[in-house]
Amino acid sequence: MNAVGALTGRALARGLAGLIALLGGIALFEAIQPVVIESFGGAEVMAALIQRLPPALQAFARSRPEFAAVNGLPGLLSVGFTHPLYLVLAISAVVGFTARTLAGEMESGAIQIPLSRPVSRPAVYLSRVLGMTLIAGAVAAVGPLGTIAGLQYLGILDHIDQANFIALFVGSLALLWAIGGLALLGSAAVSTTGRIVGWALALLTVMYFVDYFAAIWSVAKTLRPLSLFAYYDPTDALAHGTVAPRNPIVLVAVGVAGTIAGLVVFVRRDLP
Amino acid sequence: MSLADAPAIATDDLTKRFGSVSALSQLTLHVPTGAIYGFLGPNGAGKTTTIRLLLGFVKPTSGSCRLFGHDCWADGVAARRNLGYLVEAEALFPDMRGAALLDYTARLSGRSPVLREKLLDALELSGAALNRKLRSYSKGMKQKLALIAAMQHDPALLILDEPTDGLDPLMRRNFEEVLRDLHGHGRTIFMSSHDLAEVERVCERVAIVRDGRLVAESSIEDLKRSHQRTATVRFNGPAPTSFAEIPGVRVLAREGDRLRLAVGGDLGPFLRALAASGAIDLELPPPSLDDMFMGYYAPASSTTAPTTEAIPTGTRR
Repeated sequence: MNAVGALTGRALARGLAGLIALLGGIALFEAIQPVVIESFGGAEVMAALIQRLPPALQAFARSRPEFAAVNGLPGLLSVGFTHPLYLVLAISAVVGFTARTLAGEMESGAIQIPLSRPVSRPAVYLSRVLGMTLIAGAVAAVGPLGTIAGLQYLGILDHIDQANFIALFVGSLALLWAIGGLALLGSAAVSTTGRIVGWALALLTVMYFVDYFAAIWSVAKTLRPLSLFAYYDPTDALAHGTVAPRNPIVLVAVGVAGTIAGLVVFVRRDLP
Repeated sequence: MSLADAPAIATDDLTKRFGSVSALSQLTLHVPTGAIYGFLGPNGAGKTTTIRLLLGFVKPTSGSCRLFGHDCWADGVAARRNLGYLVEAEALFPDMRGAALLDYTARLSGRSPVLREKLLDALELSGAALNRKLRSYSKGMKQKLALIAAMQHDPALLILDEPTDGLDPLMRRNFEEVLRDLHGHGRTIFMSSHDLAEVERVCERVAIVRDGRLVAESSIEDLKRSHQRTATVRFNGPAPTSFAEIPGVRVLAREGDRLRLAVGGDLGPFLRALAASGAIDLELPPPSLDDMFMGYYAPASSTTAPTTEAIPTGTRR
C-alpha cells in the first residue's frame, strides 16, 4: 500500500498546475451562472427568454421548454452543468489525467520507474484508479461549490435547498467516474497520450450528440440509452435533490466495467 | 536447484516475436551470482528486448527467464525485489527535483538508499543540483541521477543498458570504479554497452547477440584467444603463396612484398612458416574485444571475420 500511495501522489503531482487551473475555471464558470441569470432580471425573465428559443437551441443547452418554468432558478442553474464548456472542462480533467499517467507514461518510458522495482502492474493501475477517482470527485465538487459561491455573492443562497447540491455532486461524480473508467481502459490499451485523448473526445462527442438529437428527433430516441449523458440529470438533482437510482447505477457499472477491462489489458500487455 | 543457488539471471530458450518479427530466438544464458557481465550487440540485435523480458516489461513468446530463480513474468515482483535497473534518462519526470526523484525511487524499491551519498560523491552530483528540477538538467546529469536511482539501494543485481551514455570520460572512469567496488562486494552486474573498451575494462564475461540469437558467450580472455587476428607480414621480395596452405591461416590480401593474413587457433604452424619464409617484418597486434566484436558483425569479406572454429563451441545458436 505504501507503493500505491507514492504512485498516486506522483501521478496527481504531475500536471497539478493544469488541474488546478481547470478546477478554478469550472468553479468560476458555475459561479457566474447566478450572476448572469440575475443580470437578465431573475429566473422568471430568463425562463421566458429561453422559451422563445427554437427547440433545437433549447436542446443544445439541455433546456427543454417546460423545465425552466417548472424548475425556476435551480433549473436555470442546472444548465451550467450540461453546458458544453462545463463538460469539456470537466471531461478534460479526468481524461487528461488517465491519458497522462498511463498511456503518457508508457509513451515516455516513465512507467518503467515503478515497474522495474518490486511493484506490480495492478498496484500501478490501482494508483491511477485512485487518482482518477479523486480528480472526478474534485471536479464534481468544485462546480456546485462555484454555484454556491455565486448564490452567496448575490445573497440568494437560500433560494435553493443546499442539500440538493449533494445530489448534484453524486450525479456528476457518477458521470465522471464512468468516463474515467472508459478512459482508463483506452489508456491501458494504447501507448500514446494523443491517441487516447482523441478516442475519448470522439466517443464523448458522439454520445453528446446522440443525447442532443434524441431530445429533438424522435427517431434518435431509441439510441439515447447508449449515451452516458442520458444518465446524467443535474436539473432533477438541483431542483428536487433527487437522483434517479438507475442513473448512478448505470454510470458506476460502466465505470467499473471499463476499469476492470483496463486492468486486464494493462496486466497482460507488452509495454512499449 | 533451490532459489538460493539459482543464478542471478537465467534464460532458457527465451524467444520473443512481435507479430511476424522475431526479436529474440531461443536465447539460453546463465549469469552466475557475483559476475560482472557484458551483453553486446549492435542496434536491433535483441539486447534491449532481452533486458525488457528480464524486467517483465514484455511477455516471452516461449521459453523462460528468471532472476534469482523467480520467473520474470509470472512472479515479477519477487524477481525484481533485489534488482537495480537503469531507467532511460529521458524517461525521468521533468517536473521533479533530483532529491525528490531519488526519494521516490527508494520508496518504490522498499529499501533504504544506503549507497546514495557515496554515489553522489563518486559521480559528482552536488546538493545544489539535487534541489533543481530535472527539466533544467543536462543529459549527463540526468544519466548520473538515473544511475544513482538504480544503485542507491544496493541491489544484488544491476541491469544497466548503456550506463555511460552521456557521461564524460572522467565520469566514465569514476563509474567504472563504482562498478568494480560493487562487484568486489559480490553484486552481480549485467550491462550492455556500445563502448567495447569499457566492457573490456570492466567485465569478466560477455555474451554477443546477433539477429536475436546468441553467437558467443565466454570470458573475454577466452574469446580473444579463440578469435582470429590480422597479421601483416613484409618480405624481402615478392610475398610467397605458401601461407594459404598453413592450418588456421587465411590470406586476406597480397600487395607486392606484403601479405595480410587472418590467423586463428594455434600460432605454431604460422610462426614456423614465417621463420622459414624470409619475412623481414611482422605486425600482429594483440586481440581486442573491439576486433572480436567487429569480427562477428563485419561483412564476410572483412579482414577479421571469424571462422566457425573461432566461435566457442557449445555457445552458438
